[in-house]
Order: sequence, then structure tokens, then C-alpha cells
Amino acid sequence: MSAASTVQRVVVTGIGLLSPLGLTRSASFEHLLGGDSAIRPAGPEITRWLPHALSADVDPAFAQQLDRSEQGLDRATQFALLASREALADARAADWDLDRGRIGVFAGIGLGGATTGEALYTRMHEQVQAGRNPTVMHPLSVPRLMPNAATAAISMAHQFRGPTHTYSVACSSSAMAIGEAYRSIRHGYADAIVAVGAEAMNVPGVFMAWNALRVMAKPRPDNPAASCRPFDKDRSGFVLGEGAAALVLETAASALRRGATIYGEICGYGSSSDAQHLTLPSSEGQYRAIRMALEESGIAPAGIHYLNAHGTATEAGDVVESETIRQVFGDHADRLPVSSTKSQHGHLIGAAGATELAISLLAMQSGSIPPTAFLDSPDPRCALDHVPRQARHGQSLQAVMSNSFAFGGSNVSLIARRYA
Amino acid sequence: MLRQIIKDFVIQQFNVDPSVFDQPGLTVADLGLDSLGVVEMLFEVEDLYGFQVEDPARYSSMRFDEMVADMEATIRAANNGQLPEPASLQGKA
Repeated sequence: MSAASTVQRVVVTGIGLLSPLGLTRSASFEHLLGGDSAIRPAGPEITRWLPHALSADVDPAFAQQLDRSEQGLDRATQFALLASREALADARAADWDLDRGRIGVFAGIGLGGATTGEALYTRMHEQVQAGRNPTVMHPLSVPRLMPNAATAAISMAHQFRGPTHTYSVACSSSAMAIGEAYRSIRHGYADAIVAVGAEAMNVPGVFMAWNALRVMAKPRPDNPAASCRPFDKDRSGFVLGEGAAALVLETAASALRRGATIYGEICGYGSSSDAQHLTLPSSEGQYRAIRMALEESGIAPAGIHYLNAHGTATEAGDVVESETIRQVFGDHADRLPVSSTKSQHGHLIGAAGATELAISLLAMQSGSIPPTAFLDSPDPRCALDHVPRQARHGQSLQAVMSNSFAFGGSNVSLIARRYA
Repeated sequence: MLRQIIKDFVIQQFNVDPSVFDQPGLTVADLGLDSLGVVEMLFEVEDLYGFQVEDPARYSSMRFDEMVADMEATIRAANNGQLPEPASLQGKA
């Protein structure tokens, strides 16, 4: 199929959320607005080595939704499958009149099948210790841990025969997957794409690696759930979360034919690189990604009514991001509500971008803006309207922005507006 | 015992009809497994007995009972002629 000569308008018609805050879109968003935090002390297999470790985990009951044949899949793939199922049902995708060869799946994942990988190496060493043959290993180990396992599972489950791409760009992975899905549909390479972010890396070896990087939040003795505090003076880093978020993107034409509910129109996607530092952010690079998204959307900075920040609660990150927001939005920054929801669901790494754009769309649809939880003492270097501690209701939002700024310096900015 | 372990696994994992195992002259091909399915079936036994099957492709053309006998012979050869108790191992990768 050749690309269309006119660009398509791209809308979001379905959202699925399987997060530490809830097993469904509505449960997750409800807990988010309620200021609840899913952050807890990590499981015993982790705290055995890292006694102060915190994590945001998905309720184990999620597994009840899996078929027997899905039990052996990597945990991140399981999350992605379930979130996609919810999003597709939400979009009423069963009523699609589209050629299956023009429906794709674009995924974002940071570490790939981390849970399967960890089990593989653990087993190998246990076998050696026990004097058994370590080469005896499950034959599906490779297809289970490969980073594209989610797109494979989703495409096979729903018979989507269009492009299946997987983006692995650390914290920007699923934001990039959404941006690229938007571009693909816009320019006629697909009619619909399920864009999904997934991550499940809350396992000991991976935690030890993150711990060594010295970016993890220290637990607050009085209330461990309040340990991730973006923009707060007492912030000390982030907490790893797991889960998946899926968004169904399609042409506006297809959505209208079906009478589907439209959450919003994706209208801006900026992608840039800092080329500065492996882990520290650069305001200049972030600025370019945001400007690129704004210019594509044709929306002036003052036209953005809510910004879901990257907001990882690191010492440097929050300051740099706040400076960037000031630079881009100027005086509007005094009025622009900016919140970091990582305070409540944790840093979902590969799933962060998709989760946070989904939240932004739900905010636009519902008129309720989620807070930056636990923001008791705002850092003066981050002076913005951070929607501290309490959700704001009854808001009229015409356009929203979600930003993700990754290790390696990859910055992604996404803009969605009300469809008209 | 080995035959029962394989039969149970194939029925559970691949939804093969249990009555298939009553067929005289049952071949591995009759189980309807693709090449990956055969390897998964073999892993079940390898995992329990801690040995690795050489050249699993040759099993696809055998009768089921021939395959079971061949596996048992391999296990016994590695265990002084004995068929050990299957180890129940944690965390299959």
C-alpha cells in the first residue's frame, strides 16, 4: 500500500491501563485522582539484599485474567496483552471495517523480558550449584524474553497484520511508540495502531543495578508510600513501577464511521537528543523536543492546559525540567497546571510514556487534573503550578502535553487536543 | 511412569484429546505438535530428569512408545542403568 498523499488526522479511541494503582483504566485513574500511592516496600526477595528498596507493583490478581496458554509469557508481555485487550474493547475494535494488514502494534519497553531473563540466569546458576546440567532450559526462553514479545503476542491474539515495531528508549520508549504510531497513521502507512508501553523489572538483579545508579528514592520512615516526591525539597529520587498502558490510535475517518468515542486527537510529536550526558538531563534538548511538538500542533504555548511532567523526583531532573517549562511557556508557566504522577504510580520506565499520555487524555476527557502527590515543601528552584497534593476538578482542557526525558538523552514530547 | 508424565503434559499444555493415547501404533506426529511443540514436550522430561535430548528432530518420525523407550534408555544410560526419581525443579525459565 502506498502512502496517502493527504495527511490523516489521528485520534485515540481506546485506553487500557494495568498499573500499580489498579487493574483497569477507571480504577487506576480513580486512585490517581484520590491521591493514593501504590508505592510500598519491595518484596522480600529484593529487600533481603536492599532493605530500603521500594517498588510499585501490580496487584497479583491480574493473573486471573490470563489464559492458560499465556501463563508462560514474560510478565511485561502479560501486562501488555491485558492492557491492549482493555483498550481494544474500549475502542470497540471488534466493529472495525479495516484491512487487517493496515492495523499495527507499536510497543515501548525499556529492558525487555527482564523477569524471564532474571529467572533464566538464576536457574542457570542454581543448576550449576546443584551439580545439574545448566543447559537444560525452557525452549521458549528466547521468544519470551525478546523485547518484541509484546507486539508478537498482541498481533497474534488479534490478527493484526500491519507493522509491528518495538521502541526501546528507556523512559521515553512508549512515548516514542505513540509518536511513531501517530506519524505512521498520519502519513498513510497504517489505519490503526495499538500503541502500548509495558515494563516488569521488579526483580532482585535489576533492582541491584538500579540501586547502584543512586537514583532510587529513600523511604520515608513515617510513610513509605509518600517516598517519591517530585518537585519537593525533600525529594530523593524515584521508585520503580511495573505495568502497561495501551492506546488505540486510528484515523479520525475510521473513528467517525464507527461512531467511536474519541478521547482526543494526537497533534504534536517532538523527538530530540541531548547528546550531553548518559543520565543527566539537558534543558536545551528537552526544549527542542517540546518546541517541535508545539510547532507541529500549531498550538501556542498558552493553548496547553495541562502538562504531565516527566518529574522523576531526582535532584537534578526536576530543576532542569522546571527550567525548560519556564523557557517554553514563559508567563503562561504561572498558570499552567503541571503534575508528576510518578509520585503515585512510580516510574514505569518503558510503560511511563503511554501511561502518562493516557492519564493526560483521561484528564482532558474528565476535566479532572491529577495532583503531584506529597508536595509539601516545593523546591523554590522548581517554581510552577504543580497541582500540589489535591486533584483539581471541573477543568476545561482543550489541549494537553506529556513529556518523557530518557537516559541516553532521548526526549519525547506529545500533544493531544480535543477533537473537533 | 515416563509415558504418563509426557501424556499428562501434552494433554494439559496442548489440549490433545486423551483418547488419542489409546490408539494402537500412535506416532509422535499423531499428537499434532509442530516442531516447537515437540521441543516443549521434550523439555518437560529434560527438566524433570536433568538430561538433554540429542537431536530431538528424529523423534518426530517415531512412534510415541518408541520415543518414550528411547528417552528412558538415555536417562538410564546416564544414571547407572537406573531411572531416578524426577527432580521437581523451581522456576523453569
